[in-house]
Amino acid sequence: MKINEGFELRKVCDDYVIVAYGRKNIDFSKVISLNESAAFMWNAVVGKEFTCQELADLLCKEYDVDAQTALQDVNQIVASWKELGLVSD
Amino acid sequence: MNVLKSFLRFLLKLLLTPFRYLNKRRNGVPPSEVRHELPNDAFLGLVSETLAEGHTTIIWVKGYSMRPFIEFGRDKVKLALAASYQVGDAVLAEIAKGHYVLHRIIKKDGDMLTLQGDGNVRGVEHCTMADIRGVVTEYIRPNRTLSADDPCLKRKIRIWRALRPIRRVLLFIYKALI
Repeated sequence: MKINEGFELRKVCDDYVIVAYGRKNIDFSKVISLNESAAFMWNAVVGKEFTCQELADLLCKEYDVDAQTALQDVNQIVASWKELGLVSD
Repeated sequence: MNVLKSFLRFLLKLLLTPFRYLNKRRNGVPPSEVRHELPNDAFLGLVSETLAEGHTTIIWVKGYSMRPFIEFGRDKVKLALAASYQVGDAVLAEIAKGHYVLHRIIKKDGDMLTLQGDGNVRGVEHCTMADIRGVVTEYIRPNRTLSADDPCLKRKIRIWRALRPIRRVLLFIYKALI
């Protein structure tokens, strides 16, 4: 799967937000914010093909987390990204 | 004095109950979802950048300085970049480096602009055309959206500005309506 074009991750002070630059009107009242680890995953795979397993491996390398928990978290976040239209297969 | 003020407000609230109900029905009530707030200046910097790139943006407005036309917590505004800005326009301006206000232009003298919040009794801000980052094109309330070009709204804004000498009293009454 891949992150859809037109989305950009921006850092606003300590927060990470996804801005839909692909659209004419940008609705900041419904902005999607990411925590630090989600932003790390986003940056790691932006612009390239990836699988949930690859993301989980990256997460294990960067953070002190076991493989199973990492995969569970990745599945969850990728599902929500798909639901929001940020990622497609 | 404060006791008297509170009593007067209570009395007004009681008297204006039907109007308060009508106001809520017309404009809607604030959404109840939990809101995550970003630091104002950094966030409005991002908004300014996207406006400069030619996008339009929708943002929640913070603060009470644009009462009664923009109500904090209830209203959003749509912003866009414009070729020129006129007296009466509500604009997002960077009045000092990294410091933004969303207020209305009350005076234009060549390139120099004077801004004031609709809900401010005294304070004004000064800036130039180059400090303007965008103009309000829509006032978005939970139950309806008003275009900034709406003649009825424009008339109301003109009347509100003309009544500036008694703004304090009008705001006192308005607060009882909210």
